[in-house]
This record gives sequence, structure tokens and C-alpha cells, in this order.
Amino acid sequence: MEPILWFGWFRADIIAEYGVMFWRGLQMTILVTVICIAQGTALGLAIGLARLAEARHSPARQICRYLLRWPSTVYVSFFRGTPLFVQILLIHFAVLPLFINPADGLLISGETARSLKQNYGAFISGILALTLNSGAYISEIFRAGIQSIDRGQIEASRSLGLSFARTMYHVVLPQAFRRMLPPLGNNAIALLKDSSLISAIGLAELAYTARTVAGAYSRYWEPYLSISLMYWTLTLGLAWAVKRLEARYGRGDTR
Amino acid sequence: MTLLKKILLPLGLFALVAGNVHAQNKELVVGSSATYRPFAYENPAKEIVGYDVDIIKAVAQKAGLQIKIVNTPWTGIFAALNNGDVDLVISGVTINEKRKQSYDFTAPYFEARQLIGVHKDSTAKGLKDLAGKKVGVVTGSTGDDIASLEFGKTSPDIKRFESTPVAISELANSGVDAVIGDNGVIAFRVQEHKQLKTVSDPNFPKEYFGIVVKQGNKALLDKLNTGLAAIKADGTYAKIYKTWFQAEAPALPAQ
Repeated sequence: MEPILWFGWFRADIIAEYGVMFWRGLQMTILVTVICIAQGTALGLAIGLARLAEARHSPARQICRYLLRWPSTVYVSFFRGTPLFVQILLIHFAVLPLFINPADGLLISGETARSLKQNYGAFISGILALTLNSGAYISEIFRAGIQSIDRGQIEASRSLGLSFARTMYHVVLPQAFRRMLPPLGNNAIALLKDSSLISAIGLAELAYTARTVAGAYSRYWEPYLSISLMYWTLTLGLAWAVKRLEARYGRGDTR
Repeated sequence: MTLLKKILLPLGLFALVAGNVHAQNKELVVGSSATYRPFAYENPAKEIVGYDVDIIKAVAQKAGLQIKIVNTPWTGIFAALNNGDVDLVISGVTINEKRKQSYDFTAPYFEARQLIGVHKDSTAKGLKDLAGKKVGVVTGSTGDDIASLEFGKTSPDIKRFESTPVAISELANSGVDAVIGDNGVIAFRVQEHKQLKTVSDPNFPKEYFGIVVKQGNKALLDKLNTGLAAIKADGTYAKIYKTWFQAEAPALPAQ
């Protein structure tokens, strides 16, 4: 292909040559981000509630303490206290082979395991690592949000005969959610950017594509500037969506 | 203080002694990616050792050059050379036409071939048999070039990794069907895993590793070539080769 120069230095032909890969990479980045935001939020809510679980009488009291509060605290501490990059490598090269392995996988083995690993191995590991990681951060957002609601409200609604679940669902969470939106938005943007780390285990997303191009041509401006613009566009879109949500849920909140 | 030193020393000293300093006395920075056992890797004492390291040390000694070896990730190694972070690169770099357009190479210091690593039960005899299979390579390596040429640059069947050990781990975990890489490293890594074997494709051409300098840096290139010729002539080269590959050094072409 003849070199096409933009502004005298930008080799546009390289980007065009790998256009398909950039497009597939962009889709993969979006897919991973969307899945991990959804799963991370669900996991974060569950863990956040588990960290707040309390009961007055045994055995419920002990169950809350040893089976809910302690494990969830350790979980959050581990996933916030270790680098995401390390978690990705650990899950992909150590944890996943334990469960999915053609020879002796605990969960799946044989030919199914082989084809699963070859087609979706990096995808599964990446999603798993990113979900577990963001779940830990999101659970803290949920915990802080729930704790920011005055205890009196919970006591009041419990006195009125609402169950714990109904209290959460009808009284606490709707108010907490509004306060949680800005940090959740930040988290979503961080997650989008962190998804680039999955390229290390060979998932063909945006950063992987840029690395491939840089490796083939020893040129760095073109691929990395291109994906920077794509990431930037995506984060701007996310920020805008969060702002809209804030406006939507903040109605009637004006002072 | 350190910051002050960093700013003042180069300014002041440079002004004082500029012109007196001969290029020879300047410590040259050698870039090498130390994930490439047995060519260059970090030993437990955090020193970079290997065949490449011994070669460049011997060459530098003969040529009267002061060198410092800096572990430079493979993906950024040519960028580091371009922007002057390193003065030369010895990192199992295959001499090829594409790279010759952008960089200058010394005479060869190693004869390399590409080798395929596969599972023992694989029936693949060569590159052609890998069509439709997942093939692991190191981003931007000769293996990447070969796979890209055969299966298409943007083929999703090519999975690119940061280093050979990572690609081999992925192979051992059945994440890919085969890995294409330089013979020295593939052979070394494959013997670490019982379930793997190497396949030699007779169609793969003979290749050579060379030391890389910035294009046009003839002064340094000449010194390196002189040093290289000297260690080949006095038997140092053969001794280093034998230490790392337990075999007699093959005769290398002069250019």
C-alpha cells in the first residue's frame, strides 16, 4: 500500500490497513465495558449489602458476621489492595486453567475446554478479573451510599412494619442511588480505561490493536493517537450519559 | 538535591567539558528486553544475563566502549532507540529488509530460525497446517511477520503477546494451538513443559540476529563491527556460544 501522509507525518494508510482490527477492537472494548459495568454493579450491590449485614439474635448474628461480613471484607480488601494487572494475569494463567483445562479441569475438561479456551479464554478471564475488581470498588460506593441515609429512616420504616428488603428497596436505595451516581460514573469511566489491561493476555481490544500496529511498523504516533481519540470519545459519551442520569434522578432535588 | 543535580550537572558540566569528552568515554546505553531467556533475562540477583549480554560485553570490551545494559520492554524497544533513550539494541533482533529501512544492523552474531511450539498430540508438520488454528506470537516479532503474511495481518486467529514466556504459557494452557518464535527461545521454553514439542518447518528461511543502532550512526556501527570481528577471530565468540547453547558455533556470514 502506498504511504498516505496526513499533515505531512501521520501515516493514515497504516490505520486504514488495520481498519477492520480497530473496528473489531472498538466493539470488543465496548462489549467488555458494558458487561463488566452490569456485572460489577450487581456484584457490588450484593457485596455492599453483605458488608452491612447485621442481626441481633443467634444464629443469624453469627451467620452475618462469619459468612457475610468477614468474607466480603476480605474480598474487598484483596481486590482493592492488589493491582488489576496482577489480578488479570493471576486469573488467566493460574485460576482459569484450574477450572477450565483440557487435561484435568475441575469445571470443564476435554475438547470443550480446549475450544472454549481458544475462542473465549482471554475474554472470560478478562471479564472475570474486571468484574471482580470493579465489584469491590462498587461495593464501597454502595456501602457509603446506604450508610449516608439517616438511620432514623430505616428505624422508622421498620417500625411501620416494612421488612428489611422492602425498607432497602422502597426507602433507602432510591435515595442512596442518587448520591451514588457520580462515583458510579467515575467507576464506569475507570473501568472502560482499565479494560485496556486485558490486552496483555491477548484479548483483541483497542490497546491490543494499537500494539499490533506498533509492532508491525515500529510507528507509535498513529496507532496510539488513534486509540486515544477512540477512548476519549467513549469516556466523553459515558460522562454525558451519567450527567443525564444525574439530572433525571435529581429532579425535585433543587434547593 | 537529586532534581537539582539532574538539571545542573548536565548544564554546567556540559558547558565546562564539552569538546573535551570523547565519544568513547560516554557510557552507552544498551537496550535489551530481559524476558528472552537464554538470550537476555534477569537472574535472581536482578542482573541481566544471557547470550546477548555476554556478546555485547565482549564486543564492548574489544571496541573500548563503556556500556550500561537497561532492561527495555520489547514493544517499546525501537521507540527507545528512535528517541535516544538507548544507543543500541541487542535483544535477539532478526535482521530483515523491513527493519533495515529504519535501522542499521551490525554483522550477524547468531543464526536463527523460526520454530513452532505445539502440543505433543498435534499433527502439524509446518506453517501451512496451522491454517484455521489459533497461533500465538510475540507482537512485532519475526514470528508475527510470518503469521501475518500467511494468515493475514488482521486475522483474529493470530494472538499476540508481550513475550515468548507468556505465549508459551498460553500454549501450555491450550489457549492457542501453536506458538511461532525464534528457535533459541522456543526450544528452551518448550523443554520446560512436558506436554509440548517443537516442529521445524523446512520452509522457514535462515535468519540472523544483529545488533541495532539508529540509522546513520556509522561511528558506533563501525566500532561494534570491529569488536564483533575481533571476538569471532580470537575464539571468545565460540566460547560464549558454547556456554549458552551447548553446541559449536555455526559459521556466520560477514554481513
